[in-house]
Amino acid sequence: MSQTLFLAISTLGLLAAVGTILARNLVHAGLYLVAFFFVVACQFILLEAEFLAVIQVLVYIGAVSILLMFGIMLTRNIQGDATTTVPQGWTLPALVAGLGLFLVLGFGINNHVGLKNKAAWSATATRPSSEIPKEGEASPRTLAINNMGQAVGIELVTRYVVPFEVAGLLLTAALVGAVALAYREGDDEGTNPAMRARAEFEPLDAPDQNRNGQPDSPGSASLTTTAKS
Amino acid sequence: MSSDIPLNWFLYFAAASFSIGLMGVLLRRNAIAVLMAIEIMLNAANINLVAFWRYGIHAPEEGPLTGVMMAIFVITIAAAEVAVGIGLILLCYRRWHSADIDRFDGLSR
Repeated sequence: MSQTLFLAISTLGLLAAVGTILARNLVHAGLYLVAFFFVVACQFILLEAEFLAVIQVLVYIGAVSILLMFGIMLTRNIQGDATTTVPQGWTLPALVAGLGLFLVLGFGINNHVGLKNKAAWSATATRPSSEIPKEGEASPRTLAINNMGQAVGIELVTRYVVPFEVAGLLLTAALVGAVALAYREGDDEGTNPAMRARAEFEPLDAPDQNRNGQPDSPGSASLTTTAKS
Repeated sequence: MSSDIPLNWFLYFAAASFSIGLMGVLLRRNAIAVLMAIEIMLNAANINLVAFWRYGIHAPEEGPLTGVMMAIFVITIAAAEVAVGIGLILLCYRRWHSADIDRFDGLSR
């Protein structure tokens, strides 16, 4: 039962991944990517990591793909123009690299030799049980699987507190960096929306600086500055 | 559970997804499409982490959730990477009026 489910989900996922890298229309590629993210969330559920599946849906489908959609819309070459086609000379090397990597990885998965005194993990066919036993003590992992949200929270503030803080620092740095990248002081054609917004706000900052030589109100002055820029 | 999914199947799926993502990085010329392919590769790595966590045998001092915590941090870093990447692509688009990565060659001349 679960094997059939896994095969069906994986087939859909691989098709979605292929669609992502081959779709001419970038919006279609983004939607295929959403399907792939959803398939990965399903795999997490098959691996009994439901909390991670929820995070996957929230972060990837909810945030990352929407951000990518905004990027697609802002760069405006959605349809199959020159940048979204597959260049001719690169098809064969990319196929060779991808298939070669898959062959190497598949060989490694198939012919894995276990460490000393241990069986090869490639022979692992069943997972450890996640059911809480009727009598006796349940293992910490069993408890964590059955109550993953709580376990993740406890782990984040005890064992992984330093990586947690570093991740917070990284997110802050990424936020500041993204804003600093997207905001520019000068612009070549003066088409920067941030510059226009600054030009509108300047009369409010310095009301005595009248650009037209007329005793205008700040509102009309801002209108004329906008028209000039 | 007699019909449990073997560990290898998850690994094969992750390997295939990773290869497809690599092909996407090499094939596409649009910067946002390349970013999407990178996301596919990161997700494939996450599947591997969680699969090994679920099927493996744990040392007791490592805590109960090693692979899941690793995957959570990978997701965090991927989100930050996408935000900065989109910012960079928009900046390059403003300068070159194109999202074509073959034209972002300012360092080579």
